[in-house]
Amino acid sequence: MKPLDGATVEVIRSYLFSAAEEMRRTLIRTAFNPVIYEVLDFGISIYNRDLDLISEAPSLTFFLGANDYAIRKGIEHIGEENLEPGDIILLNYPYWSAAHVSDVTLFAPIFTPKERKPFAYTCIRAHWMDLGAKDPGYVLDSTDMHQEGLIFPGTKVYKRGKPDREIIELIRFNSRMPELVLGDLDAQVASTRTGERRLLQILDKFGMETLDEAIARILDHGERLTRKALRELPDGTWTAEDFLDDDGVSDDMIPMRVTVTIEGDQFKVDFTGSSPAVKGPVNVPFGMAETMSKVVLKALTTPHSPTNAGNFRPLEVVAPEGSLFHAVYPSATFTLWTGIVGLETIFKALAQGMPDRLAASSGGDVPGFMMIGIHPDTGRFFAVSNNDPVGWGATMNHDGANATNHLSESLIQNTPIEVFELKTGLFYEQLEMRPDSGGPGKFRGGLGQKRAFRFISDGELLSVMKKSKTRPWALAGGHEPEPNGMILFPGSEREKKVGTYRVDVRAGERACNIAAGGGGYGDPAEREPNRVLEDVLDGYVSREAARRIYKVVIDGDRVDEEATRKLRSETAR
Amino acid sequence: MKPYRVAVDIGGTFVDAIEFDRESHAIRVEKASTTPREPWRGVLDALDKLGTDLGKAELFIHGTTLGINAILERKGARTGIITNEGFRDIFEIARAAVPPEHMYDFQYEKPPPLVKRRHTAGVPCRVNVKGEVLEDLDEAKLLEAARRLIEEHHLRSLAVVFLHSYKNPEHEQRAARLLREKYPEVAVSISADITREYREFERTSTTVLDAYIRPIYEDYVDRLKQELRNRGFTEEFLIMKSSGGAMTSDLARRSPIFTVMSGPAGGIVGTAHLARTLGKDRLISVDYGGTSLDACLVENGTPVLMHEANLEQLPVLIPIFDIRSIGAGGGSIAWLEEGLLKVGPQSAGAMPGPIAYGRGGTEPTTTDAALTLGYLDPKTFLKGQMELDAAASRKGIEGGIAEPLRLDPIEAAAGIFNVVMANTVGAMREITVERGYDPREFSLLVFGGAGPMFAPLLAREMAIPETIVPLAPGVFSAWGMLMADLAAEFSHTEVQILEEVDKAELEKGFRSLEKKSADLLRQQGMSDEAIELHRALELRYLGQEHALEVPLDSGLSLEDIRKRFEELHQIRYGHTTSDLVQTVNLRVRGQGVLKKPEMVELPPGDGNPERALRESRPAFCFAKRGMVPFKIYQRERLEPGDRAPGPAIIEEATSTTVIHSDQTFSVNAYGHIMIDTEVS
Repeated sequence: MKPLDGATVEVIRSYLFSAAEEMRRTLIRTAFNPVIYEVLDFGISIYNRDLDLISEAPSLTFFLGANDYAIRKGIEHIGEENLEPGDIILLNYPYWSAAHVSDVTLFAPIFTPKERKPFAYTCIRAHWMDLGAKDPGYVLDSTDMHQEGLIFPGTKVYKRGKPDREIIELIRFNSRMPELVLGDLDAQVASTRTGERRLLQILDKFGMETLDEAIARILDHGERLTRKALRELPDGTWTAEDFLDDDGVSDDMIPMRVTVTIEGDQFKVDFTGSSPAVKGPVNVPFGMAETMSKVVLKALTTPHSPTNAGNFRPLEVVAPEGSLFHAVYPSATFTLWTGIVGLETIFKALAQGMPDRLAASSGGDVPGFMMIGIHPDTGRFFAVSNNDPVGWGATMNHDGANATNHLSESLIQNTPIEVFELKTGLFYEQLEMRPDSGGPGKFRGGLGQKRAFRFISDGELLSVMKKSKTRPWALAGGHEPEPNGMILFPGSEREKKVGTYRVDVRAGERACNIAAGGGGYGDPAEREPNRVLEDVLDGYVSREAARRIYKVVIDGDRVDEEATRKLRSETAR
Repeated sequence: MKPYRVAVDIGGTFVDAIEFDRESHAIRVEKASTTPREPWRGVLDALDKLGTDLGKAELFIHGTTLGINAILERKGARTGIITNEGFRDIFEIARAAVPPEHMYDFQYEKPPPLVKRRHTAGVPCRVNVKGEVLEDLDEAKLLEAARRLIEEHHLRSLAVVFLHSYKNPEHEQRAARLLREKYPEVAVSISADITREYREFERTSTTVLDAYIRPIYEDYVDRLKQELRNRGFTEEFLIMKSSGGAMTSDLARRSPIFTVMSGPAGGIVGTAHLARTLGKDRLISVDYGGTSLDACLVENGTPVLMHEANLEQLPVLIPIFDIRSIGAGGGSIAWLEEGLLKVGPQSAGAMPGPIAYGRGGTEPTTTDAALTLGYLDPKTFLKGQMELDAAASRKGIEGGIAEPLRLDPIEAAAGIFNVVMANTVGAMREITVERGYDPREFSLLVFGGAGPMFAPLLAREMAIPETIVPLAPGVFSAWGMLMADLAAEFSHTEVQILEEVDKAELEKGFRSLEKKSADLLRQQGMSDEAIELHRALELRYLGQEHALEVPLDSGLSLEDIRKRFEELHQIRYGHTTSDLVQTVNLRVRGQGVLKKPEMVELPPGDGNPERALRESRPAFCFAKRGMVPFKIYQRERLEPGDRAPGPAIIEEATSTTVIHSDQTFSVNAYGHIMIDTEVS
């Protein structure tokens, strides 16, 4: 038989992509909680009968291929032979679902009338607002899984198309926000059904034989693109180390170690040598360590094409059981920030082998905070969370972007000041980029920002960041920027710089979130003087830093070339 | 009585001019080339070709790409920003997100900001969320900042935006007064004059873009006005707004940002008009041109309007049709990626264009595929002004696509169409699904040069039973402009719990917006009888970010309003909750109703389209999946009541309609072609 042509394969690929995209729109359209439709805290995938990812709708960068591990574990647990048409299964046991307990994965087998076994699956994970964890909102100091919420180990919530009332009542009675949670469950179900309908239509249009052949070709295509890109990268093995600030229950820094190997068209990430699992909730399930590695591989090889399992065939991930990056029962895993700092550490290892292709560190972390309290005007309870943008790392060719959301959540928008002030008991005193906060270099790291605010009502502030004690890394002789940090009560006797922290605040008190800049690339004394001048004129760099770090003398609005030449040659000697 | 109405629409390649004669109901059309360096010249070229006696024109209405082009090409004025002290980076930080196509790009580089940081200034003053002044405007520091920006940095435009000015605009207004007094030659835009909605970055961006395009816009309008006057035109000329209404050119030159999507709006106004005359509640308009396919949904007979759009990652808070661009056009290039066939997003554009144009294009495009499939007549393309090289197209597809894929050139060309269609169908389905509809409940209305060739295929793929090809689809945007009314939209943000709203205060709020709308329409010469005012309230559940716009009649109780909101929420989102409901924005849309050309129903002919039959030629039928003889009809000889089955091709000056063998076409009483698609 004649093999399928590249046009038909592309048509089927495009339809599969639209199916995932339609699932995404349905979820966004019907979800109850803003974390899903605003912060895109969900992941949507479609799998073939062999549980290969065949299509995915983009959401959080960090949810790339994140369902792959979960669906395998879920089906292993239930047994493929026990799946029936119309079943929908819930899974959030963190060591299987590869995320924290609040991210609930739901998957559904799709059958044809003829076959006993499913020919495809749809899968959606989404952030549920509350499953009865020890604290409402977010958990920063749990010490085992059972403090983190109700667990589904792979539980049929729909059986043969009918909801199981007992499971649903169990959820209702275990959540502080049952209406939102059950609303989001319905939204996930609606999205699953959309995907199922679309897949059956695709099957109807093309037939099983063509569909199977097309999927095999699509996966091979994904694999070829990745391997081709890998072959163009240098071979080698590179190791990087970095630290998490703490585990949320003690102050000790936690070492991370990542070794990356590229050999021909193979890519291996090895977390061996990182800390053993710790007491607090910063441990990472193995599936998430895989996801972090997938994000790096994707970014490095095929950032612009849709994702499928073929892309990840060249990937191998190693993390010893019971370590920070391979948490096992009953390790606490709630605070996912390790993923962000860990992602940066993988890039840091790679950068040693190919500094010309990577960027220096982008702020090293995502400096976030949350606040809960009573609104001063309405008297109502409010809860807000906010992750601040950081300066991105400089590269061999250009400066890092100023104040932009970290790669791990790059599609998310910040909250406008006017919205923030309306919703909360916060009043902004300043929100500006910080001059000289970009790591100096031949190419400068992007600037970080400063967000200074005053509380106009009592409440509780949670600062969430895991890299505030050490600086983001630089490349090729560039300089490291100042680290992240939340400054509590600035200008008062109680002034204190913190990373992850929970504190009661009173009206009139102040705080200031400092978001780090990006690392620099190359020696700042080699930066073109005119670029330094432009930076000074725009206030990105101070005149003083221009002279002291970049060795450029600026006189009024021009470069004093003579004095600069002299200064630079003196320094060189 | 002055018998003529004239509209001119500037597109990427052509300027379309259309004349409607109120006495004879006749329509005449001419095209001229777009003249990007002196845009007014192309307008005059088209008008001169049309030759209308402008002294006898009662209306001249214009859709222009001037603003959007200045933004895309970054050719606007040197612009500065004055804002609150401590907040000068609002514009540069923006919403801190990366565009979706760069989500995995760790080397992402932001485009340089439209306003350099050195051209921003913070001035002491602060209003809080309730509109109370916490710190008064420091006038001396304001003037000092302006001096630096204007006298040292030589800026021509300033945007003034302060926090919470949507609630209390006094500082912005005072700043504008002081600045205009001191620097009358500088264009000063303040946010409160354009939008009274919250979200400071979006307001800043809107105001900056307004200031940025204003000087060139003023020059353009003044020049065009003078030239029109020289040609005998004595009436006020109108410019299309992005929301489909029109405004006088005098008003437009003071707030040009409202006209930024002026061009595509004409087609949507035309769509709405057709929806009304044909009694169609639900339409999807498909405008398929050289570089992209633009789609817009019509629900309840009204095109979907939004209040925010994005231009090159910069948001604008203006009323604007929700037109979605899907990245495929006639010039989109087909290529192979590791054995899979891809089409676009690269486009050959007008230069070098498709291979068929013989202008040096070497990569096969969708136009080359259309030619290979037999849809286009190489000799009659664009009234024969440009001969197409079908053999070269076929050869390009053969070498570039067919051989590597081991297909024959026809199969490869059909493959190109299939790929474009798969992408398009997905995108079209998404825009209906996200609003809670099934696309099969809609009819397609297609225009733009390539639309009628392509849309019947879309209808087959999407199981949409009815496709409408209007008269003169190639100049439909200009035609639509003739159907426009004057529009004046005002809004303001009022975030409150609905149940706690003081009904009298709400009424007062709407009255004040209505007064502004009516005043503005009167100022543009509308009489009270011609003014219609429509209220809408944006609502959401407490805790949600996005709001739904609920149309209101006066006299509704708060319970009625909540009920309407929930009905809409159920349709759009599939559920309601018992949560509190919050008001967000009050909106009033004022319409100054203009007299429109009446569409006359033509008497039916004999029903037999044979009179229009020119020839028969082989072309690819997607229903039969092979080359079959298509009957070729001339559109101008078709008459109402004609009806025939496919396969058929209908040719006219600026467009080609392709009907496959499982489809039937007919001509309705207005001369529009209706294509029926069998759906199972």
